[in-house]
Amino acid sequence: MEQTPAPQDPEGREPLPPPSSSGPSAPAGAPRTRPPILRTVGRIVPFIPALVPAAIVAAIVYSLLHAAGFSIALHNWRTWQISLPTNFGWEFFGSNWNPPYSWGIAVFVVGSFLTAVPALLFSMLIGLGIAIASVAYLPRLVTRFLDPFVDLLAGIPSVIYGIWGYLVIAPYFGTVLNPYLYEHLRFVPGLGGTMPPSSGLGLPVGIFLLTLMALPITTLLIRDSLRSVPRDLWESGLALGATRWEAMRRISIPHAKGGIVSAGFLGFGRAFGETVAIAMVLNLVAVYPTNFYGGTATIAAEMFSILDSAYGNSQFLAALSEMALILVVISLAVNVVGRLFISRLSATEIAGL
Amino acid sequence: MVPTPSADAPLGTPIAAPVPALAAQDVLFDRSARTTWRLGFDRWAGWLLPLLFLVAILPILDLVWYISKTAIPTLTWEILTSFNYRTVDALGVPIVSTVEVLALSTAFAVLLGVFGGIATAEFLSDRSAGWVRVSANMLAGTPSVVLGYFGFFTFCIYAGWGYVMMAGVLTLAFFMTPYIFRIADLAYTSIPRPIREAAYGSGTRPHQYIVKVATPIAFPQVLNGIFLAMAIGLGETAPIVLTTTGSKILPPNLFAPVTYMTALIWADFSSPSGSGGYDVALQCAFLLVVAVVGLNILVRVISARYRKRLEGLYQ
Amino acid sequence: MSAGAAESSPPVVSVQQLVVTAKKKQPILRGISLDFPARSLTAVVGPSGCGKTTFVRSLNRMVELTPGLKVEGVVNYLGQNIYDPRVNPVLVRRRIGMVFQRPTVFPMSVFENAAFGLRLIHEAEDEIDAAVEEALQRAGLWDEVRDDLNRPALALSGGQQQRLCIARALAVRPRVLLMDEPTSALDPAATQRVEATMQRLKEEIVIVLVTHNVGQAARVSDRTAFLHSGHLVELGPTADILERPRDPLTQQFITGRFE
Repeated sequence: MEQTPAPQDPEGREPLPPPSSSGPSAPAGAPRTRPPILRTVGRIVPFIPALVPAAIVAAIVYSLLHAAGFSIALHNWRTWQISLPTNFGWEFFGSNWNPPYSWGIAVFVVGSFLTAVPALLFSMLIGLGIAIASVAYLPRLVTRFLDPFVDLLAGIPSVIYGIWGYLVIAPYFGTVLNPYLYEHLRFVPGLGGTMPPSSGLGLPVGIFLLTLMALPITTLLIRDSLRSVPRDLWESGLALGATRWEAMRRISIPHAKGGIVSAGFLGFGRAFGETVAIAMVLNLVAVYPTNFYGGTATIAAEMFSILDSAYGNSQFLAALSEMALILVVISLAVNVVGRLFISRLSATEIAGL
Repeated sequence: MVPTPSADAPLGTPIAAPVPALAAQDVLFDRSARTTWRLGFDRWAGWLLPLLFLVAILPILDLVWYISKTAIPTLTWEILTSFNYRTVDALGVPIVSTVEVLALSTAFAVLLGVFGGIATAEFLSDRSAGWVRVSANMLAGTPSVVLGYFGFFTFCIYAGWGYVMMAGVLTLAFFMTPYIFRIADLAYTSIPRPIREAAYGSGTRPHQYIVKVATPIAFPQVLNGIFLAMAIGLGETAPIVLTTTGSKILPPNLFAPVTYMTALIWADFSSPSGSGGYDVALQCAFLLVVAVVGLNILVRVISARYRKRLEGLYQ
Repeated sequence: MSAGAAESSPPVVSVQQLVVTAKKKQPILRGISLDFPARSLTAVVGPSGCGKTTFVRSLNRMVELTPGLKVEGVVNYLGQNIYDPRVNPVLVRRRIGMVFQRPTVFPMSVFENAAFGLRLIHEAEDEIDAAVEEALQRAGLWDEVRDDLNRPALALSGGQQQRLCIARALAVRPRVLLMDEPTSALDPAATQRVEATMQRLKEEIVIVLVTHNVGQAARVSDRTAFLHSGHLVELGPTADILERPRDPLTQQFITGRFE
């Protein structure tokens, strides 16, 4: 700790307290000292709370691994036994999900992408449009009111999206939109085939809800990165005779590339991990959809709805846990990569993402 | 008229060449095809792009309107306050249970998150802080289903509690923690440097600095973060559904079944349609929307006020 | 380029009773009228807050980008009022270019920066090449960048970047160039090169130069306009203004009593 002698005041008065560094240090100036053990403890203790999130993440991963069959048993100092997670063989990645006989999770993976990717595309396009409108075209007075409105979308609980989707949107899709598409656009691959169910449940509603849920994230990130383009740069573009659109397209958007990429990743992460709303409107069946109107299943939704029936069946639970691990890995990867491109953002809003 | 260089001369012409006087007239009322197209496109964009706002706003308005219009007529004061568990429609129990669970979860999340956030802001080197923040982002990014699984395995099975309130409380608390953690971290990190340096420069020790100097400044932001986490926790379903079972009475102790409003909506939704409509679900939905939107607005208002206040300090 | 020769042709830009007010009726410019003849360099000087930046930004309708400002009066470009409701500001800005205080090069190559305005109006490739070269020559930057036009513009020094901004503005052949304190962020050597460029350019186009540096005004400008609190206090040949100012406010400013 303090190896150097305390600096002396030149006129010989009390020794000045040693300068504090940003960390717990020895008591300032006073003659009492703490026993070394307490001092060491005192240095380490403040760091412990910072490890909480990492500890929780580790605990999550470990609990899933354990449920999947992984464990390390120490019999004595020398022998230890590692059981690996239950190996379902290659068919785990197959398409045949039929517990308790077969465990092919491909359906769910495909389903998750099938719902999340279109939702991401829509929410990126719409979010980009809204962000450009907000930054370049609408007066500040209006955007100060409209922007928070869009951000509010993120606060609605997914159950409520689900129930609204189920009671309002799905019937509308089922009775108006889907039959219309089926009638008039039957020739488009994916829009023909079997009649869409009149309940309206299925991919269309699911993608619709996911788009709404990812929208506030994409809009916020793109808008924020467009706003952070230096004013001078933007005005220089206009001073050269560019229209607002041209200045946006040729100057601001290239400058904001990082934020736009982040928006893509984080929006995808949101759509990919969404559980309850999808479970309520997607007409959950563990099969590939035959056309655009069909129902399918996603990893998260299936995990959520089926856990009850798996209670007690350790093989079932292991399969679900391994599915959960795949979900975790994808979500974490998307999240961490997505955040790499964010440079500077307003505090509270992003902390809420 | 003295010949002046024309801005409209074809680009190959050197600038000092004389040009007919009429060229000047065209200058500001130029209607070349390309220009008309550019200006027209910009005008179109100015109409179309703002309309996209409607894509975001109309659904949310419809959602709020639908839920309100369906739920409000059925809500009576008696329903809201009745704890009679024999009456299916009594909401008193779910409301109070939800508040209890949320309060406990928030308390745990604050304990776990605030100290960690302060520690990261004050004690960690930039490198370590970077890693810790990554871990917080990772935790915030895990889907709530996964948290639910974690809670199920850890508390319901390994700890042997079964489907009880405490399992739900802890799972939800872990889910809320990273949000509080991040905001506490941000709040303490963004204390203006001059204040920090003045404090340490005059010999203040770290814990004194934190308690006496930093916390009063960071407090509104941290409080805001707590409200934000509460709004998030209020809307979560999976962590509770996977770790608890519903109950028609208030939980007598921490290890009893408990009803959380989101879980109630889910249960009402998935129960066979003989339950006579989704009245309960919609009523709960209405109350939740009011609470969550209210909290969100509160968070924004505090956030705006706080930003103004901070601008007065050494900005 | 004596004031006499320029005066005999109609002014390129003619400002009449320009009034700019901010929110809550705060006046920023109070009824300014002056003309800018062809092939001249007019310095606009004054203490900070006198409205010189607002004035210059009113000449190409950039002032509209600041919310809450109201503009009244007439600014004639070659006889047409740029504030006529039928005129789109985009067209005005091609004819009246602007260079800002800090170099604002885009994150592209040198060539692409210079070609930016030309690409907007969709000129043919070979014409763009020729125009870029000409603009870079007029800005006095050609010799320094000709060997590699594709290098990123951000790799240039501050002075070079500012000259690139000038070239960029010149590429679309404006008749007027507005310069808002273009050398205040540059070191003396770079400043000198930009001033040399200005002196060459004033033989070709109209330059309106806002500067807080009276010495600079003395070095490059033919005439000087002195603004104070939104009024045009005095206008005349630079030598006259600096050596024999008529108004006491001007005198105070020149001798440094304001700043």
